[in-house]
Amino acid sequence: MEYCKDHIKADCEQLLSRFQQMESVRFEMFLAIWKEMKFESIFFGKMESKLSRLFSREVLATAYAYLLPPYTFQIRVGAIYLLYGLYQCQLCTPREKIRVALKDWEVIMKFQQEAVNAHHFDVAYILRKLISQKAFYFTAMPTSLVFNVKRTNISRTLCEEFLERASRPQEVVSMDMLEELANIHQHYEQVKASSSESTSSQPDPSISLIHKDLVPRLHSTVLDFYKWQRNQGSGNQEEGQYEDGGEGTSNKHESSQRAKLLASIKSKSYAQVVEAPKARRHRQVERDESGPAQETSHHKRVKSLKQRTSHLTQDLVKEEATRMWCLSQLEAEDTTKEKKKQTFKW
Amino acid sequence: MKKMAASSNSNIPVFEYKDINTKAFHVGSFRTAWLEKLKPDDYSYEDKDEETQDAEIANEIGVTRETLEELKSICSIDSLRCHSEDEPPDTKLVPPDATLQTLIQRKRKQEYKGTLRIDKISRIDHYQNELESLAIGKKPADPDDLVPEGELILSINILYPALFDSFKSVRPHMTLQMLGSHKLVDLRDAICCISDLQVFGEFSNTPDIAPDFISKDHFKSAFFYFEGVFYNDMRYPECRDLSETTVEWAKTRDFPQFQKAKMEDTYFYDLKVKVGYPYLFCHQGDCEHVVIITDIRLAHKDDCLDWKLYPLLTHKHRVLTRKCAVCHVYIGRWLTTNDPFAPVDPCLFCGRCFQMLHYDTNGNKLGQFLAYPYVDPGAFN
Ligand SMILES: [Zn+2]
Ligand SMILES: [Zn+2]
Repeated sequence: MEYCKDHIKADCEQLLSRFQQMESVRFEMFLAIWKEMKFESIFFGKMESKLSRLFSREVLATAYAYLLPPYTFQIRVGAIYLLYGLYQCQLCTPREKIRVALKDWEVIMKFQQEAVNAHHFDVAYILRKLISQKAFYFTAMPTSLVFNVKRTNISRTLCEEFLERASRPQEVVSMDMLEELANIHQHYEQVKASSSESTSSQPDPSISLIHKDLVPRLHSTVLDFYKWQRNQGSGNQEEGQYEDGGEGTSNKHESSQRAKLLASIKSKSYAQVVEAPKARRHRQVERDESGPAQETSHHKRVKSLKQRTSHLTQDLVKEEATRMWCLSQLEAEDTTKEKKKQTFKW
Repeated sequence: MKKMAASSNSNIPVFEYKDINTKAFHVGSFRTAWLEKLKPDDYSYEDKDEETQDAEIANEIGVTRETLEELKSICSIDSLRCHSEDEPPDTKLVPPDATLQTLIQRKRKQEYKGTLRIDKISRIDHYQNELESLAIGKKPADPDDLVPEGELILSINILYPALFDSFKSVRPHMTLQMLGSHKLVDLRDAICCISDLQVFGEFSNTPDIAPDFISKDHFKSAFFYFEGVFYNDMRYPECRDLSETTVEWAKTRDFPQFQKAKMEDTYFYDLKVKVGYPYLFCHQGDCEHVVIITDIRLAHKDDCLDWKLYPLLTHKHRVLTRKCAVCHVYIGRWLTTNDPFAPVDPCLFCGRCFQMLHYDTNGNKLGQFLAYPYVDPGAFN
């Protein structure tokens, strides 16, 4: 099935991309695209039974990948619809099953809950329908594995436009966090002032180790990042429509609850933080734009980032050291382990 | 509670190398983890009537029956059809106006194949199709033989020993499906390897008794190797611990300590393994097979559910067979040397031709020659 992998992927992405442009998660919207693309016919054309089984397996496995993060809610909805369509329309009897891995199950159940909470009942219904139809194999891994090292050469690039954009900066630098930080900063300035032997109203510049405007500066940096990210991702999207990701534009199941929930599930919308600090500006102490201070703090930050991420690299090293002497070795590893091998004196 | 979750986490399979193999996990705990996450209905074999199914879905997603009816009509399977009801498409044909890339490629491929005029399915393909589909959805005659719901099915590839260079690219293998409640000896007994059937010795004077001396009966020792543990077959008094040499050798080198266990005491549920990772089966002293567990999953209602049909052979590589030098029809069963009747030396004969050519009607040996029983690698096809 290796030969048609890329084509299947391209077709799925074409459909999902069009679904994404709909900015709706309604099944009817999906159906319109499905029909226009005549997606059912992907199974047509004489294939002998073994081949047709392998093909079904491949198509389902391809679509399954979009059901999981890091794809956006909208894409994941598209993926569950796509799986539903493919599962029903395949030509094998009994039907090939959708392989779901244990590690993904919780994620999928959470996805169902999100859909239910947001009153996207068509999404939840279709997922439930597949489960009660016994459309899933409950497996260890999403594909069966035959130690085929060559396969890794095939690039498995993630479709950029489908990805849920990074939101950690917005999440970490939250309203609460800024408030807390402002308090601490204020306290810090006070302590510093009281400790620096009174003479002048200005504290000793030699202990000016941190930006006086730390809080607003941090805020505006994250805000800039957020704006940049939006421009980056949705060049042709209208501002403000994009941020809800899974939010649909349509009809009967719509409710204010859904909007509320999506906002809470996805703290992507940075709007709340945009508003917040205005109210807190009065807390900020006067600015002191002293050059050396800037540099010091900068320097420190870089270092701590390194420290914070050092465990990641350590893990890598550990993994590399895993001994693979038993029977075989990944081809790609050969170079990195040459040294180790020598000590075994083969 | 939280602690429990954390400890069972290590038995949720994750990739060690992406798309190649997983990290090691405990098979039994993996099954338990799945069963804890699912409702018994999710993996039950029972087909519920639509009424009940609908009620459960409505309940699960918290909608009224009315809303559910609406959902059902919006999301009906018929809604996925891309054609009108009165003109069903010919599913055997790639639509001429196809726009999907997959179809355009398929069409091109089929057109090319059409020019080659080899549209027939080869016998080999046909045979393999049958093998796989033979057992699909098979229910046992006796309900006691039903594979229990929530049982694990493991797919295991056993590669043939790499005797020839060509094997490196093709990696011929057999695939067996095992149940989690099987023991390792069940797998061992299901592996068929020609070296088990090899007969050693020259039998030109007593050709009738030769087939009784097959290797399997003589050299019973064997082991599997999984994740640092040698599982030895110690069922018979004449079994030797084949792993001993390796374990002792490893002790003097820079290897971690190997463990030993008995094949006959070990269930698949007891194993700690990596899916997709090559392990080892060794028998006949030095016949080594790479063993790969390619898949582990819960049993499904469409699986073969007759417990008695497991271990279930789902794939078998076909090897070319060598035919009798006389009739060119039957598979060779005797190999002769120094044979005045033979066109070449050594030469292969089927049982019938060998008998007719080398013995008189009373079974007396004619002339001088040496005869060795021969088992063709393709004999299992
Ligand atoms: Zn063997
Ligand atoms: Zn013959």
